[in-house]
Amino acid sequence: MENQDFKILARKALADHRLARGYKLRLFLKKKLAVFATFVLFLIVLSAIFAPWVAPYPDQGKGEINLEERLQPFSKTHLLGTDIYGRDLLSRVIYGGRVSVFGGIFIVVMAALIGVPLGLWAGYQEGVSGTIIMRTVELVLSFPSALVAMGVSIVIGAGSMTALVALIIPWWPWYTRLVQGEVLSIKHMLYIEAAQMLGYGRIYILFRHLLPNILAPVVVMMLLDVGPAIIAIGVLSFLGLGTQPPHADWGLMVWNGSQNLLGEWWIAIVPGFAMFLLVTVFNIFGDTLKDILDPNQS
Amino acid sequence: MHMKTPPPTPVLSVKDLTVDFKGPRGTARILEGIEFGLFPGEILALVGETGCGKSITAKSILDLIPLRSLHRTGTVSFEGLDLFSLDHSEFRSIRGRSIAMIFQNPQSSINPVFTLGEQMYRLIRMYLKNEIDAVCQHQGLNKKAAIGEIAREKLAEVGLTETDRLLKSYAHEISGGMAQRYKIAQALLSSPEILIADEATSALDVTVQAHILKLLKQMSHKKGTTILFITHDLGIAAQICDRVAVMYAGRIVEIGNTMDIFQTPLHPYTRGLLESVPKLGYSETLQYVSGMIPDLVNPPRGCRFHPRCAHKMTHCEEQRPMNTTSADHHTVACHLYSR
Amino acid sequence: MAMSEKLIQLEHLKTYFPLQKTLTGKVRAWIKAVDDVSLTLQTGECLGLVGESGCGKSTLGRTVLRLVGHTAGTIRFKDAEIQGLNKPAFQPFRPKMQMVFQDPRASLNPKMTVLQIISEALAICSGVDRGQYAQRATELLDMVDLRPEHLFRYPHEFSGGQQQRICIARALATQPEFIVFDEATSALDVSVQAQIIHLMADLQKQLHLTYLFISHDLSIMEHICHRVAVMYAGRIMEVQDADALFSAPLHPYTKALRDAVPIADPTRRDGMAVLEGEVPSLVEPPDGCRFHPRCPYATQVCRQKAPDAVRIKSGNWVRCHHHSELQDKKMLAVAG
Repeated sequence: MENQDFKILARKALADHRLARGYKLRLFLKKKLAVFATFVLFLIVLSAIFAPWVAPYPDQGKGEINLEERLQPFSKTHLLGTDIYGRDLLSRVIYGGRVSVFGGIFIVVMAALIGVPLGLWAGYQEGVSGTIIMRTVELVLSFPSALVAMGVSIVIGAGSMTALVALIIPWWPWYTRLVQGEVLSIKHMLYIEAAQMLGYGRIYILFRHLLPNILAPVVVMMLLDVGPAIIAIGVLSFLGLGTQPPHADWGLMVWNGSQNLLGEWWIAIVPGFAMFLLVTVFNIFGDTLKDILDPNQS
Repeated sequence: MHMKTPPPTPVLSVKDLTVDFKGPRGTARILEGIEFGLFPGEILALVGETGCGKSITAKSILDLIPLRSLHRTGTVSFEGLDLFSLDHSEFRSIRGRSIAMIFQNPQSSINPVFTLGEQMYRLIRMYLKNEIDAVCQHQGLNKKAAIGEIAREKLAEVGLTETDRLLKSYAHEISGGMAQRYKIAQALLSSPEILIADEATSALDVTVQAHILKLLKQMSHKKGTTILFITHDLGIAAQICDRVAVMYAGRIVEIGNTMDIFQTPLHPYTRGLLESVPKLGYSETLQYVSGMIPDLVNPPRGCRFHPRCAHKMTHCEEQRPMNTTSADHHTVACHLYSR
Repeated sequence: MAMSEKLIQLEHLKTYFPLQKTLTGKVRAWIKAVDDVSLTLQTGECLGLVGESGCGKSTLGRTVLRLVGHTAGTIRFKDAEIQGLNKPAFQPFRPKMQMVFQDPRASLNPKMTVLQIISEALAICSGVDRGQYAQRATELLDMVDLRPEHLFRYPHEFSGGQQQRICIARALATQPEFIVFDEATSALDVSVQAQIIHLMADLQKQLHLTYLFISHDLSIMEHICHRVAVMYAGRIMEVQDADALFSAPLHPYTKALRDAVPIADPTRRDGMAVLEGEVPSLVEPPDGCRFHPRCPYATQVCRQKAPDAVRIKSGNWVRCHHHSELQDKKMLAVAG
């Protein structure tokens, strides 16, 4: 067949597939709540990335004290008020958002990067190595994740980066367990046997055949995990094990403001609300995506 | 072999049954104008290939399809009663009791959590109250023992041995053949007028299938049960059925006595189908009908078979063929015969 | 046909699976899926392998291709012993022996396009380099009556029959000499099955292939196989030329199998006879002749001693103590 005809066919096929995928996009756009949530999410992420330009008082966001204006409620100069050190809460929230947004994503991505390959191996290979992996998974999961994270944090020292590492440790086993289960269910599919018959080795089959077919539930889990990860970061910081002052962090801000809850309530509620908002929109986004990508999953 | 002309009153009558399914790509008319009658004591085969709608027809009769994206019109009358006009509780008294059904995978249609005995006893308590009392009186047994006695008897009727052991077993412990016999025993407990068998032997080995087919035929003769046998296997239709209805793309294209259908098939699809069936002992080359079954979201206009038909006329693309019936009740929906 | 050589030779092949292990790892019970099978396939022939569920036929097919490990016996491909080779030594044989599976939908990775699927097979066949994949894939699709634009589609966009054609194209990609069809038409509609059988027969002639056609459907065997082997409880009971098998089976089980098939001809309703009993367990098969508990002609010797294979003529043999008297009395011939 002519090379020319071939290119034309390839192009047409690509167009056809884009059309089919476009259908999924249209389905997403039909759900107004999801669109709105995605929009809000987009705003939050953008403001986190461009914090120095978006925040009205970037230095205060980073921690500079402004004692003259402390404990002020909502006003024109400080839209969300100021905290006990006079720092503009809006800027603090925007800077704190950086830790939450990127931290949440970082934890989930790292947990997946560690957990998924282990799950692939444990599911496909089984045997001794598989057993070791799964028993480790069960061991880690048998401890309350909060305690594990706190314990690790104390051992390796407090700080925003160490908090993230501490949270990855109780998190990765969920991915291994999910992936191992999925692999077990498709391991005996005939197309796997067909690849084995051609003589392809284990690693090739794991990444070329198994991984693409179990990706959907993994992606869904990742999306729905970001919210809890953000909260977990907040909790660690609240306990003093995460971001250290004067850096901005929502959990830390809530702790700071909790002392003034009866009087200057906004200092704690504003960052708390920010966390609530981010987690909610991430969940709506993830939930809707899940319904579209994998409608059979309950 | 001479077939008696069927008596005029059917025990089940399906008229103009049409089912639309609304899916992501559009609305598909999966059944259109299904019309046939089931006469007392006969075994009618509903044959067709994948996607022709034979299973949906059976499930529609018993209202077993989830109604979420389905739109259904037409009537199904059972002994004069319009089934679709009944409410839930009225229908439940008919489903299982007067019209029973057995399915393709017998082991999956037995509840895995209870023993076979437990499930059987429950049904006996539900349907055979009179018989329980009779056994209690005549044999001086208490209720529980009477139920056990009846259960053993019913299992023996369908050719099962070691009934005591069987009643204590679970679904996964018995073979496919035993499971299907058990399901037949269950289905026939209430002496239903009609038994619908939906690909009931497709998952069984051929020697086991032979047993089950023979059993069904015996039961039908003994109890007068009418059987609607849904299958893709024309051999089964030829061997045990009195009449055959051939379905294609949601329509019945031909219906008549088994002998007539096999010896003088009228519809081009029926002919093509018969020629592509491998028959033991005849090694002529297998023919096949070229093309594929149509997409039911955008079916061909007029006759749904015309794109694959060797005898196509221009008329076929425009108008849907109506039924033409001959003197010996051989009906076909094809323009070749409508003049 | 040129001078036939023996393409595949199986000698006393056994495939056992462990069922129960003691705590120390010693096996207490085995599933004897393939229990002492010896078969020869001539180049260019289509050998049918028929049997009911649980008789071991699928396992036999997989053992020959080494998808499943064997327990004892030899497998020869053109006189070379392949059963004991390690992975790299066996690799050159892989392209020559391919398989088409039962469920076409499950045999194709739903996330790969047809082009990718076929290219994956081409990649292990040394003769083709990467730039040629698309070209070769187009030729292969043409051989199975599919069009070039199908290369860019995903498996779920095709019907069952088309999917099976893609599987056949993939099997042909490595330029095999031997193809095992494991219930390859069982999941297809009758008319589609007829199309695929035609395709298989054409390809066999064109490319001088040798087939092992595994199925539980006796009726289809006549239309494509030259010889048919009947398997029961892990053993081969009979091997005969296809046309003779149906008119004059040598083994009582073959007769029972043939009689149980519902024939699509209402004038022949007398034929269907029923075989008593259940399919035996592969863990504890009956002593002596495996079929004796269900055989209407069984005698004392059948219960005690397993029958040896008796050669009838070239390529035709049977395992039955009473086969000659059954033949003489024409007990097994077609009724009516």
